[in-house]
Amino acid sequence: MSTASPRSGGIFGWLDERYGISPLIEYMRHKEVPLGAHPMVWYYLGGMTLFFFVCQIITGVLLLMYYQPGETTSYESIHYIATKVPFGWLIRAIHCWSAHLMIMSLIVHMFSTMLLKAYRPPRELTWLTGFGLFGIALGFGFSGYLLPWNELSYFATSVGTDSVKSVPVIGHWMLLVMRGGEDVTINTLYRFFAGHVVILPLVCFGLISTHLLVIQRQGMAPPIHAGTSTHGMPFFPNFAMRDLLLWLICLTVLATLAWLMPYGPKLPGMEWELGAKANPLAPAYPGIKPEWYFLWIYQLLKEFPPNLMGMEGPQVCLLLVNVLMGSWALIPWLDRKAQRGKHSPTFTDVGFAVIYFLTFLTLKASDLGVAVTPTNDAATAIVASYCAWVTLGIAGVTTLTRFFLYRHRYFLLSAAVLTHIALHGLVGWSYLTVGAVTVVVTAIVLTVSGLTRSGAEGVES
Amino acid sequence: MDSLTDNTAKHTRRSFLDLLLGLGATGWLASVLYPVIRYLTPLPSAGPSGPVKLSGEQLKTLDKERFVIVPVQGKRILVFSDPAQNLRALDARCTHEGCTVQYVPGEAVIWCACHNGRYDLDGRVLSGPPPRPLPQYVARQDAEGGVVVTPQTA
Ligand code: FES
Repeated sequence: MSTASPRSGGIFGWLDERYGISPLIEYMRHKEVPLGAHPMVWYYLGGMTLFFFVCQIITGVLLLMYYQPGETTSYESIHYIATKVPFGWLIRAIHCWSAHLMIMSLIVHMFSTMLLKAYRPPRELTWLTGFGLFGIALGFGFSGYLLPWNELSYFATSVGTDSVKSVPVIGHWMLLVMRGGEDVTINTLYRFFAGHVVILPLVCFGLISTHLLVIQRQGMAPPIHAGTSTHGMPFFPNFAMRDLLLWLICLTVLATLAWLMPYGPKLPGMEWELGAKANPLAPAYPGIKPEWYFLWIYQLLKEFPPNLMGMEGPQVCLLLVNVLMGSWALIPWLDRKAQRGKHSPTFTDVGFAVIYFLTFLTLKASDLGVAVTPTNDAATAIVASYCAWVTLGIAGVTTLTRFFLYRHRYFLLSAAVLTHIALHGLVGWSYLTVGAVTVVVTAIVLTVSGLTRSGAEGVES
Repeated sequence: MDSLTDNTAKHTRRSFLDLLLGLGATGWLASVLYPVIRYLTPLPSAGPSGPVKLSGEQLKTLDKERFVIVPVQGKRILVFSDPAQNLRALDARCTHEGCTVQYVPGEAVIWCACHNGRYDLDGRVLSGPPPRPLPQYVARQDAEGGVVVTPQTA
């Protein structure tokens, strides 16, 4: 008789006898969530993202019961779901809301992981699978967007898929395969549908399993320099129960939002009013924008001139986006200090710099400060200055918090990004020119300070 | 000396087998992937290959809006009548990110709403992000008063 099993009767005993599950429970009971230097709230975000993903699966399957992809059925079936099917509007609203909330919590999760350096060894794979999941989530958003086959989604998809053509050599072929033809047609919708309901979920399950498996195996990352602390909260039941409570709260919030605003908060890139049916032969109209998490790329594309350095502007821009994304994925290997278990103030500042960079572009793409999408330079300049003020305001608050509360002392990179934003938005210089100048100046400062500091390694906060 | 040649012989035989194995695996992979790749690559879009005559509906739109977008050989073509009442045709796909452009009669420009790109009536870029001009096509009034678009660049 095994002595490990706390109970031996009932279903548990029956299962335990056959599959030996009590060691698993025992393992979970001993597993601890590190407590320490930073607030616990950051440990819940992954679970929250997972919760919204589960909501996506459930509502997605429910939507599938009525949705019919097709030239004459896609739009009509969504319309039917939203207007005729009892609670159809609610299911659709929850699917849309949960999608946005999932991406939000994913992004916050990613940035908190980044700022707390949880990616440092031995957790590189957790970061990498997490980054993969971020990509998958964007793919879900992009492919799902087209499925209602309405005007806005049609144009946004035309523009969004077009960027694929700038891939060297196989770009055009990739575009054809993605769209199922030269242009976005109903064939594109069929392909996106297959991706949205079969391919992406399969890949996603694989990645989530790996992500969770490595986390279970290694435990959550303790704060830097707290490796020896014995401080911790048992994962089961203490942490799991808190997780459960949080999920309950999330569900309530989700349901309330879906009930109050079934078509979204009407913010730029965050509404899902069905609108008119897609008509491939209608001209595009102003204000065609992707969803909010793509807005920064959308805006960056706008900042590039038609031709640059012998290449087409969009090509250079997308190359830049890919380089940025690639470096983001490789952060665990770039951050040498965190690799050695030391504080790396530079990378903390990188995190904040990236946040300001994305905030400014996203705000600018949302045409903050004007009523309609500007079509002339004067109005664009107003938007730029308005967004610059808001971004600088946010940056001021976060920087003061960092300085006084967290005693951060390294601000070079965030300062560079903010200078860039100020010179563009407030002084009115071209985004790209100031950007290039800022990059060069920062690189010089970094090299010089790196040379002078290489002797005094010990001075870091 | 003997064992050395023996070793080398073994070595070359081994690397030869490795090469064979590698080639076999590559061939196998290619024979699996090739049909899939071909399957996924869409066929060129069908449709009328010669000149396309505008339908009554399209003519009405052309009359009312001063422009109409028609499908010609799987392409979207913008047909419009310029201020001198001449018919013209341009590829309607913006060279920037592929949005569908429109003719703005009041300003006599071709305008892309997506990122505010502007072209002149010959398709040359006036302002905005488009990197290349719009290809020109030929639109003519035929004998019966209809309009014909020829899918060749002018
Ligand atoms: S797609 Fe026409 S200007 Fe961008």
